Amino acid sequence: MLDDAVYREFEEVVGPDNISREPAILDGYTYQIVFNPTPSPWLNRPAAVALPCSTEEVQGIVKVCNRHHVRFKAHSTGWGVFNAPGYEDMIILDLRRMNRILQIDENNMFALVEPYITCNQLQAEAMKKGLNCHIIGAGPNTSVLASCTSVGGVGWTGISMGYNCRNVLGVEWVLPTGEVVRLGSPGSGDGWFSGDGPGPSLRGIMRGLFGAMGGLGVFTRVAVKLFNWPGPKRIDARGLMFDIKAEVPENIKLYILLFPDMQRFLDATYDLGDAEIGWIHSRNPAGMLFTFLFPGLMRETAGRPAMRSAMESIKHMVSFGIAASSPGELAYQEKVVREVIARNDGVLIDMGKLPQFESFMLFGLMRSTLSAFVFRAGGNFASSLVGEETTDSGAPQVDLGVRIKQEYIDKGALIDDMADTVWGSIYENNLFAHYESLMTFDSRDPRQQEWIKVDEEVVDELIDRKWGIGIGLSGAGTVVHKKFGPHMCNYDKWQRRIKKALDPEGLSDPIGYTEPGD
Amino acid sequence: MALREYERDIRGCSRCSICKWVPFAQIKSVDCATVCPSISRYNFHSYSGGGRLILGLSLLEDRVELTEEVADIIYKCVMCGACEVSCKIYRDDIDVLRVIEELRFACVENGMMLPEHMMMVDAMKQEDNVFGEPKSARGDWAKDLGLKDINKEKADVLFHAGCRLSYDEGLRGVVRGAASILSDAGVDLGIAGADEACCGGRAFEVGYRGELEKYAEDFASRVKASGCSKLVTPCSDCYGAFKQLYPMVGKELGVEVLHVVEYVEMLMGQGRIRPTVKVPLKVTYHDPCHLGRRGEPYREWEGEDKLKRPSAFKMSGTRGVYDAPREILSRLPAVELVEMERIREYAWCCGAGGGVMEAYPEFNSWSANERVDEALATGAQAIVTACPWCERSFTDALEERDEDLEVLDLMELLARSLGSEPDA
Ligand SMILES: Cc1cc2nc3c(=O)[nH]c(=O)nc-3n(C[C@H](O)[C@H](O)[C@H](O)COP(=O)(O)OP(=O)(O)OC[C@H]3O[C@@H](n4cnc5c(N)ncnc54)[C@H](O)[C@@H]3O)c2cc1C
Ligand code: SF4
Ligand code: SF4
Repeated sequence: MLDDAVYREFEEVVGPDNISREPAILDGYTYQIVFNPTPSPWLNRPAAVALPCSTEEVQGIVKVCNRHHVRFKAHSTGWGVFNAPGYEDMIILDLRRMNRILQIDENNMFALVEPYITCNQLQAEAMKKGLNCHIIGAGPNTSVLASCTSVGGVGWTGISMGYNCRNVLGVEWVLPTGEVVRLGSPGSGDGWFSGDGPGPSLRGIMRGLFGAMGGLGVFTRVAVKLFNWPGPKRIDARGLMFDIKAEVPENIKLYILLFPDMQRFLDATYDLGDAEIGWIHSRNPAGMLFTFLFPGLMRETAGRPAMRSAMESIKHMVSFGIAASSPGELAYQEKVVREVIARNDGVLIDMGKLPQFESFMLFGLMRSTLSAFVFRAGGNFASSLVGEETTDSGAPQVDLGVRIKQEYIDKGALIDDMADTVWGSIYENNLFAHYESLMTFDSRDPRQQEWIKVDEEVVDELIDRKWGIGIGLSGAGTVVHKKFGPHMCNYDKWQRRIKKALDPEGLSDPIGYTEPGD
Repeated sequence: MALREYERDIRGCSRCSICKWVPFAQIKSVDCATVCPSISRYNFHSYSGGGRLILGLSLLEDRVELTEEVADIIYKCVMCGACEVSCKIYRDDIDVLRVIEELRFACVENGMMLPEHMMMVDAMKQEDNVFGEPKSARGDWAKDLGLKDINKEKADVLFHAGCRLSYDEGLRGVVRGAASILSDAGVDLGIAGADEACCGGRAFEVGYRGELEKYAEDFASRVKASGCSKLVTPCSDCYGAFKQLYPMVGKELGVEVLHVVEYVEMLMGQGRIRPTVKVPLKVTYHDPCHLGRRGEPYREWEGEDKLKRPSAFKMSGTRGVYDAPREILSRLPAVELVEMERIREYAWCCGAGGGVMEAYPEFNSWSANERVDEALATGAQAIVTACPWCERSFTDALEERDEDLEVLDLMELLARSLGSEPDA
């Protein structure tokens, strides 16, 4: 409960229409089923929700929080447990009124956006200027800012557009104390073109590998790197999803690559990375695609030996795309892909020969519209996030995830998707890779509420085997960081110090990040 | 509480917020990316489709009570169904709109109706129309048109004007034009005149399911008695009630139900309507919700587990009427259609539905103005629609603005193209 006088102070900052403590409204910020490890969809009900519309209003709220020792947390689009309140007596800042693209700088190739600009919106506008943005695998409905500043950042186009952790070129940040700072070149008043200055470069402190999950204040603006888009300003389509009909531009090619085994999949991945080609690269095992896209069919057939062996034979499957700036470049990249396929005994399917499928996949891959299909089979999904590692070391992690997952499928705790639903992509021409083993289940079914155990087992084995530190459970806060820390330069201690230095009062919800400490 | 029957749907919501957005492949700009008027206007998550599911769960679990504040959230929704379309792209097991309806039924069951809605339903009870206008004047719009009275003689096609077109004098040209176009094409047309009654759809939308059942029952027997083979209406609201709501409450009319645009398109195909007069006009077309996604025919599915529901039973909005009006427009000489960004299944609502026009005129006007802005951005000289509720919303919105945008029903534009500007 918030004291009436404190509530009025918040109200003065945002106006009475933009704050609420109505329980029915608050429950909208209490419910989360995705990545929620408990059987209940309800987490902590906050004391109030505010809708600030500017940095000044965010700062105003944070200052009231500091005056009265009220915890707070930022919320962009609010998908997944990460934004859920860690405590009951806190205030949520729903940033959906901060919804402007402030600038698209074609020359310096970046966009400056507020928290409630989604990847879909930015992509649509960037393409009009011959540019494109990296969209995280979660989908185009997520905030551009959130995956740059606070959580994750991986997606289908990592091969050409990197990881959003590294695509941040500057932020405006309301610290937990209420001070406003700007990092990167904007910190020296020189514009928003570089994350490492001139000006303060604190990217590691700001988010580290996976993000502070709302535990270090509120980001109100982010400059994000944009990349060359050689396609048209707008791709007009008829239809909504499976029925989409679109003219795929001539300089865009989409393929399915199939490999006979893991080793040759890995070798081909290195070959493609070395050749520095490609726009999209993503491992999508057949079982995964079928489970997500045709759950009814999988339900009926997954148990049949013939179906299993058919799926097994095509499980090392990759979606690969080329977006070329000239006919010559297109011809070159096509030639290289074919050579890589030949060298690694693979099979190449040109989606252009299947126009309907190509239209569907164009948006699926370019705009990351396939993601929400993970909910189709059972209504919920989770992921045993494994490593952000080299491609080779990702491979045993994949096997590990699959093996542990299979045990849970066998006892009916997860939906049978042939177990290998290891989705992953390579980044910056294979500088590193990201693999995660996806799980689908129906959390309304009491037998299917154990996904968290899969994650725990995977994490424990990764640590035991010294196979690299997975990012699984990263949102689980202090407990898990303490587990990983000793195996990775005691980073958890640094995290606690950072938290203490920036948030001495511990007001920015620490639940997904870390408690302060020395 | 029948809301309980949807508990599984509700518990399946992943809070992805996809229901706030235009289907992803159709997002073309930062400004026209959102599709839900309610969340766009009121901002807190509970105002979205998914937020309404969560609100349902809070009620089911007694975490919140059905207070006036909660009823206010429930009713600040135009019931346009756009959330349902976007959600259904991914989900087979969630019927967002059915939950939204159940929340309203719960309001009525628990005495939490809004005064404006109670007045509307009282008016319906007394005068068989949503405005409380005299029942005896219902057929006045057809004066001197020489249409058959189906109470006295048989007709092949029963023309149902609907409440708004019967009484809104500003829209006389629409209804008279539509009826004249059909009779000029040789259609054997009859009307019920003063005996025509409300379809009941607007009562259903504000939570009075029982009222709709009564009207549907009554309507079905009148249609049967008339002996007609087709029921044609120029009102999309009524069309949605006949196609979607009546089957939902177990009432089939037993005749072919057509919106006038569907019928006209058919007649044009047969060469019975030939627009020849050039009307040089750049127009944009607004898809009325109740002709499009909310006009999609309802099919009851008896199964338990919606994950196994065949897609033919899923209300995904794709089987609404979208092509017929565009086909008609393409046949009007010198008329040029320029599309807005949010069209067809993912059109932005005019704001009149769900009892919003009655109870929250400011919200209605806000939503209509959003659409007017979108229409203006196309460079069109006119916004054409096929529903009197939309036309009224846009006309009223434009009255407050100094913009050069004409609001027309498709039948009015067709009448011009036929050289027969209808007299109002
Ligand atoms: C189904 C699903 C699939 C996913 N797949 C991927 C994936 O493929 N790749 C990937 O990288 N990630 C993935 N994620 C995680 C993902 O990165 C985040 O869920 C996503 O970025 C959330 O964006 P959002 O707008 O919903 O942020 P929110 O849920 O609103 O916030 C996410 C976190 O960031 C914090 N935050 C948000 N905005 C601010 C701000 N302005 N200032 C400070 N902190 C803030 C919040 O407090 C919260 O801790 C997935 C999540 C889901 C639910
Ligand atoms: S109703 Fe559907 S689209 Fe909306 S949040 Fe829930 S699952 Fe997502
Ligand atoms: S019916 Fe329309 S207004 Fe109501 S929640 Fe759904 S999209 Fe929003």
